[in-house]
Amino acid sequence: MATKILSVDDSRTIRMIVGRTFKPYDCQICEAGNGEEGLAAAAREKPDLIILDVTMPVMDGVTMLGKLKEDPALKTIPVIMLTAESGRENVLQIAKLGVRDYLVKPFKEEQLIEKAGRIVTLQKKPAA
Amino acid sequence: MNDGPNYLELSRRYGFAAKLESASRLTQLVSRQDADLDEIAKVIDKDPALRARLLRVANPEAENEAEYAVETVEDALMRNGMGCVLVLAMSTPLAQALIKTFQTMLSLKIETVDPRTAAPLAGEQLVCNIDFTGKVVGHVLLRMSAEAGRLIAAGILGLPPKEMQDMNEVRDVAGELLNIMTGNFKSNLCDAGLECKLSPPDVRSMGDFLPPVARAGSVEHMAFHNGNIQIFVDVTANPWSDD
Repeated sequence: MATKILSVDDSRTIRMIVGRTFKPYDCQICEAGNGEEGLAAAAREKPDLIILDVTMPVMDGVTMLGKLKEDPALKTIPVIMLTAESGRENVLQIAKLGVRDYLVKPFKEEQLIEKAGRIVTLQKKPAA
Repeated sequence: MNDGPNYLELSRRYGFAAKLESASRLTQLVSRQDADLDEIAKVIDKDPALRARLLRVANPEAENEAEYAVETVEDALMRNGMGCVLVLAMSTPLAQALIKTFQTMLSLKIETVDPRTAAPLAGEQLVCNIDFTGKVVGHVLLRMSAEAGRLIAAGILGLPPKEMQDMNEVRDVAGELLNIMTGNFKSNLCDAGLECKLSPPDVRSMGDFLPPVARAGSVEHMAFHNGNIQIFVDVTANPWSDD
């Protein structure tokens, strides 16, 4: 069964890069443009992994992470933060909320694969 | 009481790159309202590149060094105060983030060039702006030709340049590029106690555009170059807003 990954970012560019990154793998990618949509998508799709931005309109990533960890049905879904912000207070708060890993933009696709591969099974698709 | 891991441990765990020592030091110094100008002057004097940039910021009208009215670090600090140091402290991580973004996401090496001698942009341009408010107030402008924007967007999205015709996608990539740059410097500012908030990027396609003229010492113009790509970045900042 394909690994389900939810990408939550207000930037279409980043969602496209995340989609392209996992394209060689047996993964199903779902997308959301802010934390509110991300929470709804997480409840609906029950992803194996969430890749989450911090600064977004409507609901930011830190708020979404907090709400996710308060929900008994969603709190075990692992989250990787993918953000340009690595300020001390932000990182400490996010770590305390229970994020699994943290990747600072700009990033190489291999870095995201390496971090995701430590958390979920990434099976290469057979060559066409 | 602190039960969890500290920031240094988390930085190692997550594999964060080390922050630039000179920029962090400068930001910490300038964040103190009782900052000692002599101490700041010593930090800048030790770094020839920083010294050259400070004097350029302090002499915005000069075409070259021979025309400088402000010739020493001390004089620049006395005349312009902390604003010019803050601009320097902010521009350093911004420039590093731009260079790193090109290296990691485009495998392209862009180089800094003197903005006074860089060829100005002609024709349609992409102008991206992010405002920051809080203990520091100002904005960052990123400018490039529409064609450069298309090349960058194609590279970042992994598409052939000729397929990159949707200007909405080009603008989205340009906005994200500026987001990445400003997110990096925001972290530096916040770590030094200068908390600020960033606006979402505002990206527009425009005809001829001239960067805003700011008073001496509060704006730094930077330029970057690789082949057909020429990028201009203008950073304007004033510290210690009451917001």
